[in-house]
Amino acid sequence: MDPPTKEPKTTPQRHSRHGSSGRVDEISLAIFGNHAREMFKGTILTSFVAPIPRRPTRGPLDISDPAANPLSPTNLLHQSSSQILSPPTRYHTPRLPSPTPGSNLSTLSSVPSFKTAHSTLQSTQKDFSYLLRPEIYHPLALIDVPPPFRSPSVQPDPSTPIPELISAGHWRSAAIRAAQQLTAPTLSPSDHTAIFALIYTRLSCLTLCNQTPLAAQEVKCLEDLNSSYYRDDISGLPLVPWHLRVLAVRLQGMGYADARRGVMGYYDLAREARLTLTSLKKRLSEHNAKELETKGAIENEIIIWKERLHDLGIRVASALVEMEDLEGAARFLKTLRPSTSSDGALRLEAQKALLYLCLGDVDAARLCISPSGPTPGDPATGNEEERKKEQNIILALSHIADGNYDASAAIWEEFISSGAETAVYKQNLAVCHLYLGRMDDARTTLESLLTTPEGPNTFHALTFNLSTIYELCTERSRALKIGLAEKVAGILSKERTSGISGQGSEKVNGDFKL
Amino acid sequence: MAHQRGAAAVDAVKEPHSVSLKVLRLSRPSLSIQHPLPLPTPIPSPSDSPTVFPSPSASLAYPGAQNDAFILSPLLTLPPAFGSAYVGETFSCTLCANNEMLPGANMPKNISNVRIEAEMKIPSSAVPVPLGLSPNTPESKTDTEEDQKHHDGVDLEPGRSLQKVVNFDLKEEGSHVLAVTVTYTETTPTSGKVRTFRKLYQFVCKGCMVVRTKTGVLPSSPNDGSKNTSRKWALEAQLENCGEETITLDTVALETREGIRSQGVNWEIVAEGEEMERPVLMPGDVQQVCFLVEELLGPDGQGAEPVDGKVVFGILSIGWRGTMGNRGFLSTGSLGARVK
Repeated sequence: MDPPTKEPKTTPQRHSRHGSSGRVDEISLAIFGNHAREMFKGTILTSFVAPIPRRPTRGPLDISDPAANPLSPTNLLHQSSSQILSPPTRYHTPRLPSPTPGSNLSTLSSVPSFKTAHSTLQSTQKDFSYLLRPEIYHPLALIDVPPPFRSPSVQPDPSTPIPELISAGHWRSAAIRAAQQLTAPTLSPSDHTAIFALIYTRLSCLTLCNQTPLAAQEVKCLEDLNSSYYRDDISGLPLVPWHLRVLAVRLQGMGYADARRGVMGYYDLAREARLTLTSLKKRLSEHNAKELETKGAIENEIIIWKERLHDLGIRVASALVEMEDLEGAARFLKTLRPSTSSDGALRLEAQKALLYLCLGDVDAARLCISPSGPTPGDPATGNEEERKKEQNIILALSHIADGNYDASAAIWEEFISSGAETAVYKQNLAVCHLYLGRMDDARTTLESLLTTPEGPNTFHALTFNLSTIYELCTERSRALKIGLAEKVAGILSKERTSGISGQGSEKVNGDFKL
Repeated sequence: MAHQRGAAAVDAVKEPHSVSLKVLRLSRPSLSIQHPLPLPTPIPSPSDSPTVFPSPSASLAYPGAQNDAFILSPLLTLPPAFGSAYVGETFSCTLCANNEMLPGANMPKNISNVRIEAEMKIPSSAVPVPLGLSPNTPESKTDTEEDQKHHDGVDLEPGRSLQKVVNFDLKEEGSHVLAVTVTYTETTPTSGKVRTFRKLYQFVCKGCMVVRTKTGVLPSSPNDGSKNTSRKWALEAQLENCGEETITLDTVALETREGIRSQGVNWEIVAEGEEMERPVLMPGDVQQVCFLVEELLGPDGQGAEPVDGKVVFGILSIGWRGTMGNRGFLSTGSLGARVK
């Protein structure tokens, strides 16, 4: 494990801590010496213009890769002196509040005054070359990949572009390609859109191909994504896409071996989401009727942010489950309000029920899903049916928790005979059968899921359960497990050629207990 | 299995067995977990955005799972490992006798009358406890017990298995040994013989619940006019989860003997409009419970008779549920209060 980097030059966190105080300026002055000090005496509140040569090592502290500023009177400044200078932030752009707790983020998201006053200012070109260092990105070994998935016929062509790799579910190759592009000299260190898109691809694909521990190491290079360095200097809008910020929270928690950090990270994001919502709602209420179009846009934004806030809530509960604080997770879920979507209340009830089952409080789980919705006669069609379905799923799982596998099997069978979307029910029925001493039935059911006409299944729990049964039914289970891996590789390769992107084509030895 | 002792072949034949035995501890299956990827909302179509995102189902436990960022899904996964065994729980295990003959082998052997027997060796006794096997073989139901012993074997085609499930209530700490004997008849075109082998699986059973009790005398209330008053006590108990798993306390009851009545003052008592919340004990957590105990005066005005200077209240029984509802149950010895 790499220790978190200590150099102040590459630490956005430090930047956020000190950037709004005078200390950065002091440091720069100290670095640039008396000559600079002399310079600043006369030129307060101005921006420096001339491009300066790029230095080899750069970090967030070198915030001011100065953009040409046509408004600035410092065009008059001596070219040679400004080449030496990296001007302190204070003089460069309008000051932005750093998003520390308590700061008013409404100014960050809307910033009307700044926008009107400085609309002609261009945002600074931030340098993200510290994210492009080749040593950040680990090589991916094939050691954990089962033999049938290593064959060249299954591996994609090395020249396939990333979007195609992702559509075909080649997470491994996409992760490798993303790292190659991040470290290629052609990528501009200031092209934050491309950099963050590639980092998202890299990290998300690593998690999808069972390399989450690697992702947790690599995500550390981003450090504090809430730092003001990751915001546009003028609009104050974050440069990092929301989905990457959310993804980074869990991974950083793992990378620093501190699950609590993960929970806190979600809280930080939730605070930002709340403030954004407040400011959006305020804008909506101030809106006059003329601008109907923008009103609709704001309303849409509000819906998106509400969803984001709810999503964070569920992720906090999940993080607590992951750190094995099931009790904390249950308490937390109780405080959560359902999302505004039509089945929000039902989803939340189902989540609570699953959590209570995990905790072993089977009665509480059964009580979670109320027989009728909170608003009886819900206009949303099919909601009643959906509720009945969730209720039966929880009932069947409760029977298992009570050791009543016969009763559970009966419910799964009823689900299967009713048709739609049967993979989960068949799998659960097979598990019941094994506990009832009907291993042959369990095996047949699970094997049938690999060849089902609605589209073969290859998800982890299926191959894992089937491999477990293979281990039980013969001493020569390895041959059967390899056979299963070959079959799955065949299915995935066929899916890819026919253009169906399913759950992806990456499998590891653990999927087959190899 | 925690530890498997070397297979002790009972018969002298060195020839490898045609039947194998495989076991799996059947702890409760678990809910599959998933880590849904944060994706932009709404997901931009490839035509609007240069970035392509993995499909939402890629990070879900199964393709049709609810994509709602929650870690738990209703999909069941079989137990990945033996885990820990605790006093108070029921130990379940499946035993599979498999015909390992390959179809079309050059020396065809017919495997018939395969039987599995299992017994548990427990720390306190030198005599192993015979275990019941389920499911029963249906055709032997009408036979007498004696007949059953000889005829409940199953004929196995090559590659087929006989599966049984055993259950055993763990009541003692310490080393347990599950002993499984497989007997079968092996017939070749020229000969036939009965073969048998035995396998031992050892595991350690640990305590999960530590109970400490204390009684205190409460002021007695005058018993309407009669000169005798009934004595009252408070029985307190600390229940400590000393296992490695989170448990939920299900029931804690003081089962009183005749002449004593008690009332729990624990989580079952909820104010109107409140929901009952069962205490959750993480490893190392302690839950305090309390019971008000009162003696019932007989028609002669006499209360409970002390035994060896002690009024016996009864026993404390504690039920809990582990992960996925796995039940545990424990009761203490007699509890009471010393009297002068």
